[in-house]
Amino acid sequence: MDAALKRRLQARFGERLTAPIHQRHDQTEIRIGPGDVPDVVRTLHDEADFRFIVLADLAGVDTGSVMQVVYHLWSETSSDWLRVIADGLSREDPRVPSVTFLWKGAEWMEREAYDMFGITFEGNRDLRRIYMPPDYQSFPLRKDFFLPDDAARSPGAGVRHMEQSHTPTNAKAATLIRKTRA
Amino acid sequence: MTAAPPHDHLHREVPSDDPRVQLDEAAGTFEPVPPYPPRTEREAEFYTLGDGEMFINMGPQHPSTHGVLRVVLKLDGENVVDLDPVLGYLHRGVEKLCENADYHHTIAYLDPLEYISSLFCEWPGVLAFEKLLDVEVPRRAEYIRVLATELNRILSHSLFMGWMALDLGGLTPILWSFIERDEIAEMLASLTGQRLLFNYLRIGGVNGDLNHDFMSRLGDWMTRATTQIDNNLGLLNQNEIFVRRMRGLGTMDKETAFRMAMTGPNLRASGVPLDFRRAHPYSVFPELEFDIPTRDEGDCLARYLVRIDEIKQSLRIIDQCLHNMPDGPIMAKLPRLLRPRPGRAYAAVEGPRGQYAAYVISDGTDQPFRMRIHDPSFVHLQAVGTLMPGHLIADAMAVMASLDPIMGGVDK
Repeated sequence: MDAALKRRLQARFGERLTAPIHQRHDQTEIRIGPGDVPDVVRTLHDEADFRFIVLADLAGVDTGSVMQVVYHLWSETSSDWLRVIADGLSREDPRVPSVTFLWKGAEWMEREAYDMFGITFEGNRDLRRIYMPPDYQSFPLRKDFFLPDDAARSPGAGVRHMEQSHTPTNAKAATLIRKTRA
Repeated sequence: MTAAPPHDHLHREVPSDDPRVQLDEAAGTFEPVPPYPPRTEREAEFYTLGDGEMFINMGPQHPSTHGVLRVVLKLDGENVVDLDPVLGYLHRGVEKLCENADYHHTIAYLDPLEYISSLFCEWPGVLAFEKLLDVEVPRRAEYIRVLATELNRILSHSLFMGWMALDLGGLTPILWSFIERDEIAEMLASLTGQRLLFNYLRIGGVNGDLNHDFMSRLGDWMTRATTQIDNNLGLLNQNEIFVRRMRGLGTMDKETAFRMAMTGPNLRASGVPLDFRRAHPYSVFPELEFDIPTRDEGDCLARYLVRIDEIKQSLRIIDQCLHNMPDGPIMAKLPRLLRPRPGRAYAAVEGPRGQYAAYVISDGTDQPFRMRIHDPSFVHLQAVGTLMPGHLIADAMAVMASLDPIMGGVDK
């Protein structure tokens, strides 16, 4: 079943795929450029060969060098999972067309990706922050987000340290205490 | 001497040194219109009042919002014209927390996402990790997982029944369904050690084996579960007020349900027999017999009845689990520190509200590089934007209750 899906995808989107089709476990993964998203997703949704009508998930991903938007689709006819990765969004100004024209339910998921990663979904009618307060400045799920610095820039500061990516200020003192006790 | 004007007592003078007055002033007034310029066209359009319209702020502390949801309602008289749900009052940043915890620790963070169906929040995360690690889970562990999660599903659905009635103004059903809920919670507490946030599933198995206390409680409950649940249902199913108010309310057809990315009972109430336990089987569901209840009407009553039918199917599954429970280990052999090979995995399970899913990216270290959590409540709640307008305020609350959102899951 999965091999057949791979052939169909290769035949239909051959020149648009930016990487070879990857299959592991029960999932198939294709990578496309952000500009191709509306066309490819509409084809996957409409054509009788695919019928990926269930939008299971929409997620933003920051790989550290580029941004991605990951769509998980489920096919009504062949019971396959498909992962569509819109790859290669620039970290400075990530932009991708919205899929709300097919799934209105993607609206909040896109708002969430905008809130957490700063990805702009062109065509989403209501792209504003959904979880964080409106005066918040940074994008928390980005890999360069560092809580003490970035959260403090926002007016609602006062967030405690979470990441242990620096030495605690009292580390030396604690060691000294331990030595004197021993 | 002139007579006091009518209702004068409503406008009486309060001495300004009364501390309660200062309390009032300190609290200020809560205006629904945000104090900053609109960020999108939609926001600008919503916060502009038409002729004879008004705003009402519902929440964040309102009993029928199922947690801390704030909804700004635009009303014309008592009819809802439009609404703007404001989220984030319960946002904890679970995804970021998971990225800073090692694979075993993340399970504890997944639990409080939905405090009604915790096991279903753990399951997709654990399944995704197992896919990354290529772990074979022992069959006994799989059966115990199914047994425990189906109990959790009944717990969730019986609470839904009570809430649904509560939002329509009936107080008794929630008290009755809490009896049911408490028995199951006690049962799961003797299995997992916790009443609410179970933290029971482990990568490669479950935390503890079935014990005598759990089995005797379960056996005792199973003998009277059907009668007990039917008794509870009698309160609502034969209640004319309840049934008449729910019928034809908040109708959603099949196409809209797909467009709104609905899953679970809310989708099945619109006539789509999509259940991931059958459609894309995981765990031991291929070996178990159960039906997928659907309804064609797509209204609040259908969403309620689908869940009621699911309780009966869950009881069937639990019965089969108890009869077919194999012997053997409950954990796969795994190292303490997990470092999966770089890769990506997506896992979805069918929970009481719909598809719970997790998308995990591993970069070869002992912490997930990215952990995306998909919660059905979040997706379903946005359907109130299409279902509520046109209804009365009181009915709008029934529409929201019938979608069964849990704010812990909505806000992550």
